[in-house]
Amino acid sequence: MTVGRPVERVDGRAKVTGGARYTADRTLPGMLYSYLVMGTIARGRVTAVDTAAARAVPGVVEVFTHENAPRLTSDQHFMPLQGTQIHYNGQIVAITVATTLEQAQEAAELVRVTYAPETPKAVIADALTEVYLPANQEVIVGDPTAGLAAAEVTVTQNYSSPPHHHNPIEPHATVAQWDGDRLTVHETSQGVVNAQRTFATTFGIPQTNVRVLAPYLGGGFGGKSPVWPHSLLNAAIARQLGRPAKMVLARSQMYSIVSHRAEFRQQVTLGAKRDGTLTALVHHSTQQLSRTSENMYSHSISSRMLYACPNIHTRQQGVRLDVPTSRFMRSPQMASHFGLETALDELSYQLGIDPVELRRRNYTDVNPTTGERFSSRFLLDCYKLGADAFGWSRRNPKPGSTRDGHEFVGWGMATEAHDHNANPSSAMVRMAADGTVLSQTATQDIGTGTYTVFTQVVADALGVPLNQVKVELADTNFPPAALSAGSGTIASVTGAVNAAALAVRTAVVQLAVSNPASPLHGVSVERIITQHGYLFSPDRSRRESYRAVMARHGAPVQNTSSMTNARGYSTGAVFVEVRVDPRYGRVRVTRGVGAYDAGRVMNHKTARSQVIGGFTWGIGNALMEHTVLDRRTARVVNPNLSTYLLAVNADVPEIDAIFVNKPDPVSTALGARGFGETPITGVPAAIGNAIFHATGRRIRDLPFTQDKLLY
Amino acid sequence: MKNFTYAAPRNVADAVRLAGQPDARFIAGGTDLLNLMKDGAQSHGAIIDINGLALGDIVQRNDVIRIGALARMSDVAAHPAVRRSLPVVSEALLNSASPQVRNMAAVGGNVLQRTRCGYFRDSGTTCNKKAPGSGCPALEGENRGHAILGGSDHCIAVHPSDLAVALLAVDAVVLTDRRRIPFADFHVVPGTTPDQETVLGHGELITGFEIPVTPLAARSRYLKLRDRATFEFAVVAVAAALNMRGDTVRDVRLTFGGVATKPWRSPEAEEALRGKPLTTTTITEAGRALVRGAVTRDHNAFKVDLVQRALDGLLRDLGGVR
Ligand SMILES: Cc1cc2nc3c(=O)[nH]c(=O)nc-3n(C[C@H](O)[C@H](O)[C@H](O)COP(=O)(O)OP(=O)(O)OC[C@H]3O[C@@H](n4cnc5c(N)ncnc54)[C@H](O)[C@@H]3O)c2cc1C
Ligand code: SF4
Repeated sequence: MTVGRPVERVDGRAKVTGGARYTADRTLPGMLYSYLVMGTIARGRVTAVDTAAARAVPGVVEVFTHENAPRLTSDQHFMPLQGTQIHYNGQIVAITVATTLEQAQEAAELVRVTYAPETPKAVIADALTEVYLPANQEVIVGDPTAGLAAAEVTVTQNYSSPPHHHNPIEPHATVAQWDGDRLTVHETSQGVVNAQRTFATTFGIPQTNVRVLAPYLGGGFGGKSPVWPHSLLNAAIARQLGRPAKMVLARSQMYSIVSHRAEFRQQVTLGAKRDGTLTALVHHSTQQLSRTSENMYSHSISSRMLYACPNIHTRQQGVRLDVPTSRFMRSPQMASHFGLETALDELSYQLGIDPVELRRRNYTDVNPTTGERFSSRFLLDCYKLGADAFGWSRRNPKPGSTRDGHEFVGWGMATEAHDHNANPSSAMVRMAADGTVLSQTATQDIGTGTYTVFTQVVADALGVPLNQVKVELADTNFPPAALSAGSGTIASVTGAVNAAALAVRTAVVQLAVSNPASPLHGVSVERIITQHGYLFSPDRSRRESYRAVMARHGAPVQNTSSMTNARGYSTGAVFVEVRVDPRYGRVRVTRGVGAYDAGRVMNHKTARSQVIGGFTWGIGNALMEHTVLDRRTARVVNPNLSTYLLAVNADVPEIDAIFVNKPDPVSTALGARGFGETPITGVPAAIGNAIFHATGRRIRDLPFTQDKLLY
Repeated sequence: MKNFTYAAPRNVADAVRLAGQPDARFIAGGTDLLNLMKDGAQSHGAIIDINGLALGDIVQRNDVIRIGALARMSDVAAHPAVRRSLPVVSEALLNSASPQVRNMAAVGGNVLQRTRCGYFRDSGTTCNKKAPGSGCPALEGENRGHAILGGSDHCIAVHPSDLAVALLAVDAVVLTDRRRIPFADFHVVPGTTPDQETVLGHGELITGFEIPVTPLAARSRYLKLRDRATFEFAVVAVAAALNMRGDTVRDVRLTFGGVATKPWRSPEAEEALRGKPLTTTTITEAGRALVRGAVTRDHNAFKVDLVQRALDGLLRDLGGVR
């Protein structure tokens, strides 16, 4: 068995040697380069666009503005270049197209746009009177008012967090090529099947006429889930000009047209008995919406699914601002989770109950909103494993009680939790006449390790070595499979891959036992053992290699299977140590332990990588990360990685990742659940809770920069 | 970015002659210049690559260390003479950027790097430094990172170089193809001309720096505070050099980064210490003297407090005061 083992990434070598070709690496004969011109006001109208100077740049083929751009509609997004209206700063106002990238860029700088600007609203604070409750955004369980009345202790606090941008290391890129009314798109996509549908709908052609490929992705974090308008425009340009066209976004352009995590404010009210049991949980939030969409992406799922509380009220309000539409960003539930997990820490201090114990006392096996039992939940094990590994029992709860030189030392914890998607998926597995195995499915590896895990699944199902298996992904010519978002890839697609591999195994075994030329002739199919590339009789006295069986058969054996999995909820517990230097308000995270229930762990290394990545991002989220919007212009002031800060190595301690590793009985993915988004959700609260423990200072406004800690 | 010509001269005379063209610029490591050009904050028609000039040496002769303008940040930081005699210079460099950037970037380019003010680096925003007279959105805008000292109604952008703060503390002299400029006279405050950041003339080439080796410089240290542990510019930085006679401060240099529009020396803070013992009282008085003229904006008032704390912490460490 290789499943579960820390198998090295099968695509690692290609990635570090440059052999892996990413979307922006695609170059086609006769290809044109499109480059975007971004608007500089957040609200108002374009009154004129002067393209004369841009057109005069050698090599420029065309300059598109709202006056001459291809007419397109989108059922998902506001489509720019279709009129003069401006809805957010950094909106696309023109596209230059040239025979080289440099020419297109030079031309883009020369496009002169004139506006009739209006005053925008950029932040929630500027539109507090316009907060409203969109349809279907309120959930009430039990009687929260009565629950609060029955409480012996209550906590009510406000928390806030700034907007964030996804910032995958690989910029968004798209390369479109038409052949008559057939379209091929190399697209930085977390979902090639969805992308295929979007392109087909937009251009009014059959889905089968569109092929989308994304074999390698340098991260997406949700920002590459939909097809954005710029990709549709690029494809339309390629069609209109009759040549392939490529568009790669500059880093700064990724701060306005490919979404973000919304600015978020929340109020959490907890009512509890003296023994810590919750009597009411009221969670009201407000998130930024845009002028063109009221879709919400930061959901208060934790408040509805995590703790035993008979009376729950979540209310997700919105406020429309002159900013781009937000979207899912890794662990969209973490914004509200931060409030809940901080409020619980505050409650623990009011009650004088250890924060782990408080959570234990409110543990539930049952979804408190629906009353349904979870198929499996080992959160109590996570608390225990994490606390033991961290040494939590040695904690003196008194804030400010531990000092080391100049620094205060604090320990904090939080529950981690996120639900995951499961989408119907199919996969093909084929054993060639030479015994080698190919598996194809139109899901993606967005950097998380899908190639590696599916190689393990196929190898185990067939009983062949890993190096006999090749996996190909993210091409709509392959059997359709899930979007790589919502922690859903492994959970959705593993079952289909495994089923197809098992079907191939059965077929090959059948070939052997039914053929008098095989040493296994006459053994019943069910009793054959497969291992190391061989088929064995039950007592292992006789054997034949897959290769030999296939050579005799002389033709490939193939199966395509489909599978649907259940959605699920993966939880865990994270423990951190911080050191706070009160002289400078400087916080360092010096220890981190996480323990998780993710069902079966498919690959310890790639699962641990999710923990490291999540924890790292969580540190950034807690201590530094935020998009700075100019309040008067609603324009991003830090649209680059030198001023949009993410945690770097020196900010991150050694992280200990522990897994309960018990298969979820209802999961068709060999017992695995989706996991990618769980191990970040609790980190900001755990760090804030540790800062409180270190110093007695509670900061409720992310990020916890040093100016908030001077005292 | 627009198209430009490229030349790689082999000697200083050619380089200076080529740089005389109206929109020419030198390029050393290119770690700042290329970003500025890509972001549309600067635009040049001719790029003069000076990496072929023999200006990379670091040598000590008698009591002077001479650092060539093309010496890489990493090489200067690691040089034994620099580490021994000018620890503040080495520390400031090691606290700058990342190993990759330090391997590329030259010290001449470093002191000429431009501000990280987000408005300045955004081609879609007005800015007096970029386009004189167009306005300064930082004054009423997102100015958490901006200066509390040396600003004007035209510009409050911070000078970002750590090395420059250290060089100012050790009385460096800038050598150019035509003259010697004391480091204290090299950078200028914005006043009404924020586009002018130094006294360097158009096409004037920095050839190196001369730094006297003194007991003062030998006891020097750099403290940099920022929003993440490394790979970031200073929120507040302090360079201090201290020469004690017994318990009394014989001489002291106090320079600051992250708080001012140019590498900032505070003679007032130094005066509060010179000839006095190093105590909580005198250190506090030095901090007060430093920020006496500070002008704060909506989001940067915390720097007044933080810079005094940084000065306090650094002087206690350096002077062994509890
Ligand atoms: C991500 C990042 C983080 C950074 N963090 C820090 C930090 O924490 N602290 C810090 O101090 N710096 C930091 N920097 C800035 C970095 O130190 C500078 O970019 C670098 O020192 C510039 O040197 P260079 O050789 O690359 O200069 P170039 O980019 O080549 O040139 C910069 C300017 O200097 C001019 N120039 C160069 N050499 C000469 C010369 N000999 N004579 C006349 N003019 C010359 C050029 O014409 C140009 O205008 C960071 C940079 C990056 C990209
Ligand atoms: S502070 Fe200076 S650099 Fe920044 S916007 Fe104002 S003028 Fe420009």
